[in-house]
Order: sequence, then C-alpha cells, then structure tokens
Amino acid sequence: MGASSGVKAAQAKVLRALYGIGTDVTVTTQPKARSGQQRPISGQASQGGPGPGGSGSGGAHAEVCINGKCYTSGTIDTLLSEDHGLFGAATAAQVARLHDVSAAAGGLLLTDNRIVLPSGSNSQLTPPTSTSVDGTDISHPKLGPLSNGTLTSGRTFTAADKNADVAVVDANYATANKLKVGSTVTVAKTKFTIIGIVSQPEASSPPEVYIPLARAQALGTDPATGKSMKGDVNTVYVTAASASDIGAVQQEIEHLLPHATVTSSSDLASQVTGSAASAAKLAGDLGKWLAVLVLIAAFAVASLLTMAAVARRVPEFGTLKALGWRSRRIVSQVLGESVTTGLIGGLAGVGLGFAGVAIIDKIAPKLSATVPSASGGGGLQTQTAGPGGVFAGPAAASHATVAVPMSASVTAGVIALAVLLALCGGLLAGSFGGWRAARLRPAAALARVA
Amino acid sequence: MDITHQTVPQPETALYRLAGVSKIYRKGGREIPAVRDLDLEIRAGEWLAVQGKTGHGKTTLLQLLGGLDRPTRGRLDFGGNDLATATEARVRKVRASSFGFIFQTFNLIPTLSAQENVEAALIPLGVHHAERRERVQAALDSVGLGDRVQHVPGELSGGQQQRVAIARALVKEPRVLLADEPTGNLDEDTRDEIIGLLDTLWRERGLTMILVTHDSAIARRAQRIGVMSRGRLSIRQDTRA
Repeated sequence: MGASSGVKAAQAKVLRALYGIGTDVTVTTQPKARSGQQRPISGQASQGGPGPGGSGSGGAHAEVCINGKCYTSGTIDTLLSEDHGLFGAATAAQVARLHDVSAAAGGLLLTDNRIVLPSGSNSQLTPPTSTSVDGTDISHPKLGPLSNGTLTSGRTFTAADKNADVAVVDANYATANKLKVGSTVTVAKTKFTIIGIVSQPEASSPPEVYIPLARAQALGTDPATGKSMKGDVNTVYVTAASASDIGAVQQEIEHLLPHATVTSSSDLASQVTGSAASAAKLAGDLGKWLAVLVLIAAFAVASLLTMAAVARRVPEFGTLKALGWRSRRIVSQVLGESVTTGLIGGLAGVGLGFAGVAIIDKIAPKLSATVPSASGGGGLQTQTAGPGGVFAGPAAASHATVAVPMSASVTAGVIALAVLLALCGGLLAGSFGGWRAARLRPAAALARVA
Repeated sequence: MDITHQTVPQPETALYRLAGVSKIYRKGGREIPAVRDLDLEIRAGEWLAVQGKTGHGKTTLLQLLGGLDRPTRGRLDFGGNDLATATEARVRKVRASSFGFIFQTFNLIPTLSAQENVEAALIPLGVHHAERRERVQAALDSVGLGDRVQHVPGELSGGQQQRVAIARALVKEPRVLLADEPTGNLDEDTRDEIIGLLDTLWRERGLTMILVTHDSAIARRAQRIGVMSRGRLSIRQDTRA
C-alpha cells in the first residue's frame, strides 16, 4: 500500500512538474493554418563556387524567410507561438467567470528563435538558437509554469514589473549560459534584465525565460498573421473550486470554447509512461494481491498465536470457572487482552513501518518517467542542408525522460487502516480463543493442569 | 474475616446426599466408569478424607461434589440443589458461593499478585471493591501471608503459594472446602504446616471439608475416611459423634 502510494507520489511529482502547483486545467488551441507557407520560418542554402572573378575561396549564402520576408544577412530574432493558437484577450476572464472555476489566468508559451546570418561570404554560419519563453501573468502568481519553480536567487515579478524589461530565468538555463541576477538576456531583440533565477522540478522542459505577459504580447508575433500578439494569450491556466469539480470545469470550458484543447491532470497522468507508470501498474496489480496475502498470513499467524496462548492458559480459565466466573466474563477477559495486544502490535507495526519506509527511501531504485513537453518549448529543429546551409523549422512534439526518486509514502489513512486491521485481528482471534475457553467444562480445564 | 471463634464442628444435618451417582467417561467408543453407583451422605461440618489408588475415581468424586462436573446418572443433592440436573447458571452460583477449592498444583494465576489471586474468588459474588480488599487482607492474614499481598506466585515458596490458595478458597466463606492432594507438592515440614492450618480452620469455622489424599497420616486426622476403589467408595473409619 505504501509502495503504491509512493508510486502515485512519484507520478504526482512528474505531473506537478508538467503542470504547476495551482493549475488543475490548461486550455490551449491548435495554431491556425498559415496562408501561403507551411512554416513561419523557412530557410534555404546555396553555396556559390568560386567564379571567374571570384574573390577567393568561395562561400555560403543563406537566406531565411519569415512570414514571407526573406533575409540574407543580419540577426533574425523572433518571438513566436509555434505550438499553440491564440485566444482573445477576454478568454481568461470568461473562463474565470465559469461556475466551478476558482481562478484563471492567461499566459503565452512562446519560442524565441535567433538566427545570425553571415555578414559576408567568408563568414561562418552560426547555428540557430531557440529559447522557450513564458509570458507570465504577474497578477496570478499561483498559476502557470512559474508557480511551480523555487526561487534560488534574486526575486520574482511584482506588480511594478508589468511592463518592465525584466526576466526570471530557469536555473539550468542560467547555468548553461553563465547568467546570474543582473545579467541580461535577449528576447526578440530586446534586452531583459534578469531579476531572479528559479529552479523547476526535474521533469519535462520548463520555460527557460519568464517575462511579463504584457511584454511577451508586445514582442511576440502571431505566425498565422504576422501581427503582434497584443492582448492575446495562447494558454489559459485554470484552478477548479475543488478537486471534485475538475471534471465539471473541463465540461464548462469545452462548452465555452468548443475548439479548445482542455487538459486536466488526469489527462496528463495518462501520458506519464516509462518505469514510473509501469511501477504504478505493478504496485497496483501485484501489490494489491501481495497485500491481501500478507494480510491473510498476518491474520492466520495472529489467530494461531492467540489460540496457542489461550491453550496455554486453559488451567487458568478452569480455575476461574471453579471459582464461579461466568463464561461471558472469561470471554471478555480473553477478548480484552487480545485487543490490547492487537493495539500494541499495531502501534509497534506502525513504528516498524516508518523504519521500513526510511530504509526504502534510502535504498529504493531510481525510476524514470517519459513526459511530453507541456511548456511549449518546442525549440527549433535544424538540419544542415549543405556547407553553410541551414534549414530551420519548428520542432516536433518533444518528450523528456526524467529521473523520479521512488519513495514509500505513509499517510494518516494508511496508519489508521493498519491499526484498525490490528485491532480487528485481535478481536477476531480473541473472540475465537475466548469462545474455545468458555466452552471448556471446568473439570476438563483443570484436568489439563495434570 | 473473623477467625477468633473456636467452634468444634457439630455435624448434624446432611449437607450432601448422593444416591446412585455414577460418572462414566467415554473414550474411543469405550466406557470408562470413574464413579459407580455411589450412595453417600456428608453432614455439614464434617471432615471426610478420601483415599485410594491413582485412577480409582477420587478426583472425579471431588469434582462431582464441587459442581465442576455432572454425574452421568444418579442424584447429587447439595443443600437442596440437585447438582446433577440444575442449570449451569445455578451450579455456577452454588460453586461461586458455597465451594472453596484447593488444588495440588495450587492453580494460582501466575501474573496476578497474592492479593489479586485471592480477590478473584470474590468477583463472581459481586462484592464491592473496598470490601473485597478488606476481606482479602483478612484472609491472607489468617494464613500468615499478610505481608506478602503484592507478591506474585513466582516470588513465593510452594508452601506460601498453597497458603494463598487456601486464602482464596476461604475468603468467600464457603460452606464446603474441597481439597485435592493439597500437600502433594510440598515437603514434609510444609505438609504438616499446611495440614495444621487446614485443621485449625476447619475447627474454627465449622467448615465441611472433603480432602483427597494419598497420605494416611493426613487422612487419619479426618472424622471419616473413605477409600475409592474402582469407582466405589467404602468407609474405613468413622469417628463422628
């Protein structure tokens, strides 16, 4: 039971990483088909050989087109919503007004694509980079990906940062890029000052940079229209009024936004695969039967021991009967002792259980979980088309395998159940033992002394 | 417990009347008669010693007289109650109020103190706690163990344990004291001490005492000696007035 709970806790850890602490439901929508072109960014490369009047060794010539506009040199830095379509500004407010919704906040999960094109024929082409950026609704700090992070340095956003060029960055991203509080990070050609660094639970790829939602809306470009995202969001994070309302919230949102994709934690749970899920299934199936077997064995042993104890005390019961004790009183005596023993045994078992849990936590094997990226940080997939050539496009749906530490969890319910079972065991065994003792004729019981 | 009175028992009326009492055990389809067609009267205040070889029915007779077992046939009248046919509840009540038992192996509860062991005899009678403690202390005082009340049996010698058992038998002020080889597990000095104590208590309290023993020296102290042989009782000595 504890193992099963531990697996569930491991799953919850994965989901928490995917989802954020206070978020019960996320709402997204498919991106609109782009007119005239399949990708917001397309690239092609050509390599010119040394011509007759050529100036040297020849060079690469790259051309990148964004929303129909092509570039052959300079730095291209765009902030795009690649994986999700956009909602109107009022969507989050509409969702927030639904009956079973406690809170709702909009966010923008974007990708900042940066390509530095060679300035001359001899220049080396640098690989394109992509950074996942989250436009965070500062007025709802408990919703969205940032809510799940632990601030390791600096500070998080305040209301005063609503329109400021400030950013909070992920700890792994900061380490990889040698960033610290006070450093700057460039998003859509705009420098943001880093005010804080957050550490996210080990799971899928969290956003690398968090910026105020208003700034993301101002700098982002809708790839479908090539226009600004001012007032738009592409994800709505929702908290249900209670856990039991999540299903109702899903239905209400699906009714309000028929084309939206509404995802709850239970939907995400089905996407958690790998050894954590396998372990959950194993613990659920095998563990259940093992628990039943262990329970039967424990009952049998307890009953046999109690009956053996009663058998040893038969002369004692015979003496009490000779003294005129009622059978009922003797049964009560045996029963009371058995229940007390059961209670003490149960409490001792709980203590041993805690010790066992501590040992399991120490020696438990590490599990892994495969989770789909929920943060939208799809990244930019690049392929080299030839010397100096580059092809750039949105990434396919990404998955990540993360280590999940296994632990056996002990809940108040498990403890209560354990003590209750111990009491029931004592009661049953005591009843049987007492019944046998009460049935004895005094003379027969006393004869056992000899 | 008042033990100051010095009454020599004056057996007069019959406390027990046994007519055609038999006890037959069945084992593996065989019938084993332990007591056969026993006719016997025991007067109130009498001391009857029962002797006989092992397996000839002494203990069975004692158990029948003490309401611990029922005869297979016959009538066993005790103070107007036929213990052969009375309900189990009735027999239990008679047992609780009228019979005190002393066993060869003492039969004390090992986890209880001397005081608690003696007190156990008063619980079925519904005696109030304070009175129980008072009577227990008096009973233990009367057997010379007033200073051992908190000792558990394991902390007492064999003689002391039997004294506790005697106190337990007497604390309820029974009409009959039934003793099954009370000195069988004791050395000679302790045996004399215990028999002396029982003799004194019998004389002082006007008890009816039925004592099963192998020891002829002890038996000779009784008013009557009955010998059990193959389930039949024959009286060998009768010094009653």
